[in-house]
Amino acid sequence: MSVAARANETLGRRRNILGNARLAHFDVCIIGSGAGGGSAAHVLTAAGQNVLILETGHNPWGDLDRPGELPPPLQSNDELKYGVREYLDPQALLEPRTFRTQPNATAAVRDDVNSLPKAVGGAFQHADSKTPRYNVVDFELKSRIEKLIGETPGLSVPGFGADAGSANFADWPFDYAELEPYYVAAERLYGVQGSLEDPFASWRSAPFPMPPGVPMYLALLLAEGARQTQLSGGPLHPFPFPASITSRFYEGRPPCVDCGFCSGFGCPSHAKGTPAVTTLRRALLSGHCQLRANATVVELVNDGGHVTALHYADGDGVIHEQRADAFVLAASPIESARLCLLSPTPAGGALGNSSGQVGRNLMFHHQTLVSGFTPQRLHGQRGKAVSDGLSDFRGVEPGGDAFRVVPTAAGRSLFLGGIVEFSASQGLPITDDGGPIAFDLPRGVGFRFGLSLKNALLDGAISQHLIAMQMQGEDAPQLGNRVDLDPSVRDLLGLPVPRITYRPHAYELSSRRFYEPTMKQVIANAGGSQTFIDPCETLLGDPPTSRHIMGTLRMGSDPSSSVVNPDGRFHDVDNLFACDGSVFPTSSGYNPTLTIFAVALRIAHRMVGTVPGP
Amino acid sequence: LREPLLDRRTFLRGAAATAAAAGTLGLGLRCDFPGFFSDTEFATLEALCDRLLPPDRDPGAAALGVPRYIEGLLTAFDRLHPQIFAGGPYSGRTPFPDYQNGTPSRRHPSNRFRRFLAMSPRQELFWRAELFGAVAAGLPAHLGQQRGGVLRGLRSIYPEGLARLDERAQTLHGQPFAGLDTALQDTLLQQLDAPGALPLEPVRDRTFLDIAIQHTLEGCFSAPEYGGNRDGRGWRMISIEGDSQPLGYSLFSRAIGGYREREGHPMSTPNADELGPDGQLVPRPLSADGLRIQTRIGNLTGFLDQVIPGACQ
Repeated sequence: MSVAARANETLGRRRNILGNARLAHFDVCIIGSGAGGGSAAHVLTAAGQNVLILETGHNPWGDLDRPGELPPPLQSNDELKYGVREYLDPQALLEPRTFRTQPNATAAVRDDVNSLPKAVGGAFQHADSKTPRYNVVDFELKSRIEKLIGETPGLSVPGFGADAGSANFADWPFDYAELEPYYVAAERLYGVQGSLEDPFASWRSAPFPMPPGVPMYLALLLAEGARQTQLSGGPLHPFPFPASITSRFYEGRPPCVDCGFCSGFGCPSHAKGTPAVTTLRRALLSGHCQLRANATVVELVNDGGHVTALHYADGDGVIHEQRADAFVLAASPIESARLCLLSPTPAGGALGNSSGQVGRNLMFHHQTLVSGFTPQRLHGQRGKAVSDGLSDFRGVEPGGDAFRVVPTAAGRSLFLGGIVEFSASQGLPITDDGGPIAFDLPRGVGFRFGLSLKNALLDGAISQHLIAMQMQGEDAPQLGNRVDLDPSVRDLLGLPVPRITYRPHAYELSSRRFYEPTMKQVIANAGGSQTFIDPCETLLGDPPTSRHIMGTLRMGSDPSSSVVNPDGRFHDVDNLFACDGSVFPTSSGYNPTLTIFAVALRIAHRMVGTVPGP
Repeated sequence: LREPLLDRRTFLRGAAATAAAAGTLGLGLRCDFPGFFSDTEFATLEALCDRLLPPDRDPGAAALGVPRYIEGLLTAFDRLHPQIFAGGPYSGRTPFPDYQNGTPSRRHPSNRFRRFLAMSPRQELFWRAELFGAVAAGLPAHLGQQRGGVLRGLRSIYPEGLARLDERAQTLHGQPFAGLDTALQDTLLQQLDAPGALPLEPVRDRTFLDIAIQHTLEGCFSAPEYGGNRDGRGWRMISIEGDSQPLGYSLFSRAIGGYREREGHPMSTPNADELGPDGQLVPRPLSADGLRIQTRIGNLTGFLDQVIPGACQ
């Protein structure tokens, strides 16, 4: 170990182990401290279980286990630290991933394949905390659409009916009503602001814990533009975006001040309701929880049907064995699936993979980004990054309990896109203006250096004037879209890296094409000109830019077509669970984290036989 | 490859002893160390940065402190806590809000940006490789091989790149780069920027000039604690506020049970300097360069759509 590493270890030891350091026997070991792991740890420790959390990332939060006020975090309004030097992210050089669009091609090392931050508290801390719910129809998408096709002459939907073999849609093993109490619990635990203005939101049994905060100027422009834009014979319906961000004093957290360093940054004031300052902290204060940071799990030791222990590498690469009675995967879909594939069974297969489904049905949201430029400055550096949006493009009827059938040239179809975020550049000079103008644009299009570059920076040509809408379109599950182990590329520890194989399906591409003209119209009505659509990355051979990652350990009742059962337990491993986005059978068209919270809360409650409190 | 100016082991021992004696171990010492560049190299670097982001009525990269920023990066590990990640949560540039009235208070937090953060083992390994190169950092060889080469450190790339720039200037014009007039400097840089004129750094896939452009942008507009953006002039020049916590822009008031917007920094309305006397919008005109970049971006996607049908539809 280097001198500096040793010095860092001495200084950092206090923060590398959080919670009750004296615990010796663990009922449950959770891999990952983010949205799934934090939610589960809270429920399990509240029920008296002793829980060990292993987190591969570092701790940017200080002494989360100190009672009393929340500690000052190491997070800050610092473009260099987050946007350039990637304080929260894994280093692609040390932890590469490979990507390909065709199943038989050799996958290439790509610097940025859907990587999520790795740090205590998980990836949600880098998000701007948007927390819409899924709709009623989302939990029964497969059976409801097939039924509708049977009842409706001329109705065809890519991936369904006669085309069902091209995709792998499935119902969730429970319905919206079953999950609704857990949505309520999640909204309270994480502290969600929102309004009842979204007509397409499904029913709720409790109000939002907080009202919406202050809208951004650019959001008001786009909301007005949307009200002037018609779809299916009526105007669009903008509303304040639900987000787990305080707009009032809430459980020891102050109201958000709209500092602007939201999407892509950690919150310095604890206004963002992320796992670290909510569920994870409750678990750490319970006396029943210990968290080890910089602990990378490399293998689950098993006899094929039972996990006896796991091996993890500490920050110096030293391997440790850890035992527990049960194990929970919450490392996010790519890494949770990879860990199963890195864990051989005595019979020679991969752990939990008797269905052959581990790693399959990998889904991202299909993001459609339509932009324009306004003559006036939009000062996107003030605000939550996204304060308003619309869900007219989800393609459901009001209440989200039925589909909107649309006449087409060929007959009738459904266009199940997704929620739209009213967006803009965040006013960041290095990453919004400098990087794109000097590097990302082709030669002859951008300005490499000199007074032209300076003039564009002084104008904030992109960072102050770009106005945008981003749709989080539903991504069809496909067997061939998957994570497996790359045959030749290895990470810092010498382990095979995740290989991502992904190509879009006509299901999401048709929705993209259907809504794009309306999106362009909204931008124009909001005062944007030079309207343009970002290219679909996968058609250019690039990984999707989406950081909404779902699937790979599908949840279902049938052990031959799913990996975990409706309670998150592996069909074929009696003490192994998954409680992150990997269990989602379908992706819906809404930001997934609130649903990850709710699903993880449900799985954890069912592990210990409790229910959410009132 | 350059050795650190001070042997790390000796330095750390000394610093740790000093800190322990002062009872401040772990609070993030900040010591001033001798620089990295020779005077000649520094002069070339200043001249280079000032052509990448030139002075006009506003300061250029040199006046904004970019060379010092780059030197701070290259010597990051000469400090007990490497000068890579500034601390948090606040810089002290704005005060705490007064939650009773929804106004700025008079209470400022202390500057924690100055206390650079201890790094995780992976962060440290990565940044050592970035500065000293893969071999010196002890990076496993396969990580470079699978990206087609061996990562070289910035502490090698900069002196070599600056020397190459001076050599070229000497050959063509008989003077070092810093001695040329700005028109000749610009011409030389344009030649070096042509594809293939400078070698691509292995693993990084960037030339020395690419790296210098990136660092110039960083040094102009990153938080002043990193050594550039002198006195926040980079931010003022482009009319942005920089870090705004803990005050922010929306100030909650218990007295009114809701938010007030911060005076002079509106959230939900246009900037005051773009409003006419009757409240109508009067946009500040963009430069020809700003308009050109917007138009070119708009046209670019149309072009892509022709090359790859459907890509942008």
